[in-house]
Amino acid sequence: MFSSLSRRRVILLVVLTCMLLITLDKHGNPVIDRARSLVDRVLQPIDTATKAITLPVERAWNGVTNYDDLERQNEVLRDQIEHMRGNDVESRSAVLEYRELLKLNQLASKFRYPTVAAQVVGDSPSNFQNTLQINVGSQQGVAVGMPVTDGAGLIGRITKVYPTQSLVLLITDPEYAIAAQVLTAPDEPGTTVPTGSTTPSGIPVGDLTSTTSTTSPTTSSTQPPATGDTGSSTPVGDTTTSTSSPLEVVRETGMLQGQGADKPLLLRFVDTSASGTSVRVGAVVDTAGGNNGLAPQGIPIGIITKVERQTGSSSALVEVTPNASLKRLNFVAVVLYVPNTDAIGR
Amino acid sequence: MRNVVVGPLLRLVPVGLIALSVQRVVFGNHPVHGVKVQFVLALVVAAGAGGGSDRGAVAGFVLGLLYDFSGNTPLGLMALAYGLGGMTAGYVHSFTPDPQWWLACIFAFVGAAVGETAVPIAEVVTGESGWITGDLLVTVPIVALAAAMLCPLLMPVGRWMMGVKRKKWKAMLE
Repeated sequence: MFSSLSRRRVILLVVLTCMLLITLDKHGNPVIDRARSLVDRVLQPIDTATKAITLPVERAWNGVTNYDDLERQNEVLRDQIEHMRGNDVESRSAVLEYRELLKLNQLASKFRYPTVAAQVVGDSPSNFQNTLQINVGSQQGVAVGMPVTDGAGLIGRITKVYPTQSLVLLITDPEYAIAAQVLTAPDEPGTTVPTGSTTPSGIPVGDLTSTTSTTSPTTSSTQPPATGDTGSSTPVGDTTTSTSSPLEVVRETGMLQGQGADKPLLLRFVDTSASGTSVRVGAVVDTAGGNNGLAPQGIPIGIITKVERQTGSSSALVEVTPNASLKRLNFVAVVLYVPNTDAIGR
Repeated sequence: MRNVVVGPLLRLVPVGLIALSVQRVVFGNHPVHGVKVQFVLALVVAAGAGGGSDRGAVAGFVLGLLYDFSGNTPLGLMALAYGLGGMTAGYVHSFTPDPQWWLACIFAFVGAAVGETAVPIAEVVTGESGWITGDLLVTVPIVALAAAMLCPLLMPVGRWMMGVKRKKWKAMLE
């Protein structure tokens, strides 16, 4: 093969073929999609065999090298469990209270979409892709564009679907961008960064704060919203009369984008003046939803950890640390919410 | 018929699938200082160092295509980057037809560095920006060093995969 073709011709052929394939794939090609699916199916048994061969070696190695670390980590985790038990009871009561208030005010819950539980079966083998593979696919109703969450918040979206597996693009990938909103109370001090705090799945901290702070014994004066007004963007505080000063939740909408593995997310505001007013370190960020949104409104994403004012610009550099620990994902949930095709295309 | 069956392209695919699986299961899950060692790229540069730049380019193309098929990258992107890597490593044959192991390692290092650097550059060309950062200064040396270290082990596999027979090396020397 090589003797019949000169070196330059082989190299030129390789480069031209690559460019042709990239162009074809970028425009979407069903043959390429089928070929991808076929390679994925062929690789599954080989992966299983490789795992079976390498797992005992890996475990033995880990047993030798990580024993002391594991023992220390175990102690720390036991301590954390004790603390979290207390937090769990508190958050459960807050969730119940939240639901009670939603019912009372005839507001729809933000989470009306069913989910499919999945297990992470593979990580991206490349240094330039933040993806992972999960063990549910089109047979379980998963489709391209669906958001994926774990117990702490949003972790990404589905980019490729096979019959029994799917590929998830993580929120830290530079290709990932989603409309997000910042929830803050205007006079909230919020200058400290909570460490290791996670929000209960589906309930943004901002809402819990506003809900609990506006709970009032004077429920007789509560005015339910007009029929059909189920917009979850209406702060609960607006519909209740409180004897104490209510914490009105301020929402600022922007575009959240990944910056690569191990890096915080970058938030750019639609209204550049917004970042200078109410956005503070410690504020909660969740999905903004909307007709062209990639995810329904209210999925927690993370917490603002840095707000840097830029000289010569009205906008600020806002960094968001995701709630979810993307390095240690095991079980995740695919929200069966199909964004419209325009949103997926973006 | 036998020539077709045992031809380099039909050896490349099964070996490539196994290498890809090792990449996904072993090296993909055990980063070194946060960098995933690229086993497939190491095999490509070893094939290039063992068989020459044209064989290296073809090995990089085929194995890169398999990588693209199994991942989220546009089809042809890794093939292009790895093809360049394999071709660069194969230039060792411009110096000597039967390179010593350390010379092959040096060219494998350079080839792997070129291949790994070409990935984010190709991504930018295809409109997927965001990966050309200072992190490359850590990622590329680690990937290249790992490829250089694996080169002596993978070079015989690369030669077999590309159908380079021992008598051909001898003929080259003579």
